[in-house]
Formats: sequence, structure tokens, C-alpha cells
Amino acid sequence: MGDVGQSTANTSNKEMTSNQDELILAQQRQIEKEISESIPLVGELEPVTSLSSEYSGDDIYLAKVNDLAAKYSSMRRTRPDGNCFFRAFTYATLERLLGNKEEFNSFYKLAENSKNVLVELGFQQFTLEDFYDTYMDVLKRLADIDNVDDARRELHTVFNEQGYSDYMVVYLRLLTSAQLQKEKDFYSCFIEGERTVADFCHQEVEPMYKDSDHIHIMAACSALNTGVRVLYMDRGTGNIVTQHDLPEGCTPTVHLLYRPSHYDILYV
Amino acid sequence: MTSAMSPSERRLQKELMSLIKDPPPGVSVDAEQAEQNLLQWTIHMEGATGTLYEGESFQLQFKFSNKYPFDSPEVTFVGSNIPVHPHVYSNGHICLSILTDDWSPALSVQAVCLSIVSMLSSCREKQQPPDNAFYVKTCNKNPKKTKWWYHDDSV
Repeated sequence: MGDVGQSTANTSNKEMTSNQDELILAQQRQIEKEISESIPLVGELEPVTSLSSEYSGDDIYLAKVNDLAAKYSSMRRTRPDGNCFFRAFTYATLERLLGNKEEFNSFYKLAENSKNVLVELGFQQFTLEDFYDTYMDVLKRLADIDNVDDARRELHTVFNEQGYSDYMVVYLRLLTSAQLQKEKDFYSCFIEGERTVADFCHQEVEPMYKDSDHIHIMAACSALNTGVRVLYMDRGTGNIVTQHDLPEGCTPTVHLLYRPSHYDILYV
Repeated sequence: MTSAMSPSERRLQKELMSLIKDPPPGVSVDAEQAEQNLLQWTIHMEGATGTLYEGESFQLQFKFSNKYPFDSPEVTFVGSNIPVHPHVYSNGHICLSILTDDWSPALSVQAVCLSIVSMLSSCREKQQPPDNAFYVKTCNKNPKKTKWWYHDDSV
């Protein structure tokens, strides 16, 4: 714990009063509140072409939306709260598994054993248990529903209840952190600067609302034994969206749309 | 008492029991007070042997919101003895990244206590933060309303 960053207050600019801090934080909170009131944690299915309305008059993006629409029929938006990758990835993984009992069962077994792995890595058992219990509780509830459509509706309900949804996000963050730490020799090459893999996990993976990068995705894929294809849509040149499979060479079962600092779910 | 508990109260109750039963060395919680109000605890902390704070004792106040553990606890030193330390302001505010930016719901009161013990123990020279006078005069009562700049020095 001694390696935790410590510091001094942001008072270097003496002309500003500290009330400036309060104003900035109050504004941040207001923005967060507006986002949470307008965008559900995980949205309903909608056609990919609905993206066009966001980019009217923007030829680069419109061309890319067209390209995307040729490859994917529909999408689900997720709330841009910094947890979007983890929420989208877990939702899409489970949604697919609900249609395949056998795969769901092996996923369930993997999840069941994951607590011991985390405890062995030094996570505190009693804080961990909260998240593990909720995670398993959700998986059990889904497993008990025979009809696939009913199970998917339940998944959607659960993921839009903050109390459950955020617990699922925390648990996947912890599993991702564990994966990074288990294979720290490999992942350390992807971390810039002096930080150790453990520091990186404490600062960028385990805290809520911190955005995900390539390294988070690689570790999360590995933790859930799932391949993902990410479609990148940005202002870069060309009329097509570039795609990237993680881990490389996998057969992706989850498809995500990436727009600068945000992930949504895509459906073929 | 158990049936109407919110998730944050359940979690705090669990943490309180664990802290009473198995506290880190030099740390103890005022159990009676915490049981009366789960959202505000007082924790006693002894300066560790062999450090600059040996023989001193401190009091920490923990305040929790109903969004705990998603919201970090508000933690300050209180009482007559505030440690003189480069990251502790004389009003009791503590500059420690896990209390704001790096807080994770998988951390706990115990993890915060261990972190503060370690912060005190690694101190080489007792001195106040350089901007103490200015900060104490202008800051909000709640340290979570300060935007802290964290730099990883090893003090």
C-alpha cells in the first residue's frame, strides 16, 4: 500500500481561490447527472443507420456509418460513464451465451472458480465477496430461465438496475486486474512510464469510471475466455471503419463499436 | 435490523465486524459509536514503532455516503493531535490518491487505514505541506471537494 500516489492540494495558482475547485467539481457532477438521466446504462436494439443523425453534414463520419451498416445490422448504446467497455463486454458476452446452454455452463464454472484466483492474488476476501456474490447471483438467475427470450429480457432489466449493473462492472474490473497481474511480465510492455502492473491496476483498472484501453480489453478477453472484434470509427482518413480482433487471430464472438473514448455493442 | 439494510449499510456492517474482530496493528474503531451511526466512524491510530510518530496517537473520522462503496469515504484527521506530515494539512485533510481518484469499491476502511499508517511510517521529516496556510484558509470543509494534484513522491 506504500506505493499509492500521494500529493499536495492544487493551490499552485494562488490567484485562484479553492472555490474554483468546487465549481469545477460541481460542473462535472452536473454533466454526469445529465448523462445518467438521458442515456440508459444499456439501451434497446436500434439500427446502425440511426448513427447517421448524429453526423449530419459530416461526410467522413457518414461514409463510415454506411460502411458500418453494410457489416452490422443493429447496435445497443451504452452510457458513456467510463465503464462502457466493461458493461458492454459483459452484457454482450452473456447475451450470446444465453443462446447456448453448454457454453453458458462452462462460463458459469469459470466464474465460480474465479473468487479463489482473486483471493490467491491478494484481493481482500470480504470486499471481493460482495461483488462475487452479486455476479454469481445474476448468472444463477439467468441460468434458471429456460426460455431464451425471457432470459435476455431479464439480462436487460438487470443491466439497467444500477445496483446490479455496477456490481457486475466492478467484478469484471477485478477479474481484468487479476489477469493483468497473473501475466504481468507480458503486460508490463504495454504500460508507459515507471508504473508497475500492480500500480496500473490500482489506478486505471480497479477504480470505477476509468476509461478502458487496448490493454484492458486484452486482459478482459483473456479473463472471460472470449474474443472481441472492435470497429474503430474516428476522423481518420478513408471511408471504411477499421477493425481489430482481440486477441489477435481469434474468432470474435462479441462485436463492439469504438468512437473516441466510448464503446457500444454491435450485432451482425 | 438486518432486513431493512441497504447494500451500503450491509457492506459497512460487514467491514465494522471485521475491523472489530481483526484490526490492523495500532488501529482500533470506536465500535459503540459506529454501531449507533454506521455512516460515521471514529478510528484510533497509533504511530508505528520505529517511526517519527512512535508514541503519538491520532484520531481519524470516516464519513460514508449511501453510495458507499462506489463513493469513497470522506477521511480526515480530527481531535487535538493532527500529525505533522507533508501530506496532512493542519485542518486534518489528507492528500492521498485512494481517497479520491484511485478509490475502488474493492478497497475498504481497513485498506485506507493501512495506507495511512504506511504514509506516516515512510515519513523522513515532520513538516507541514508547503501550501498549508493557503489551503487551510480557502478549502471546503469536505476534502473530497478539493481537486488534488497527485505526484508519486515517496514521502
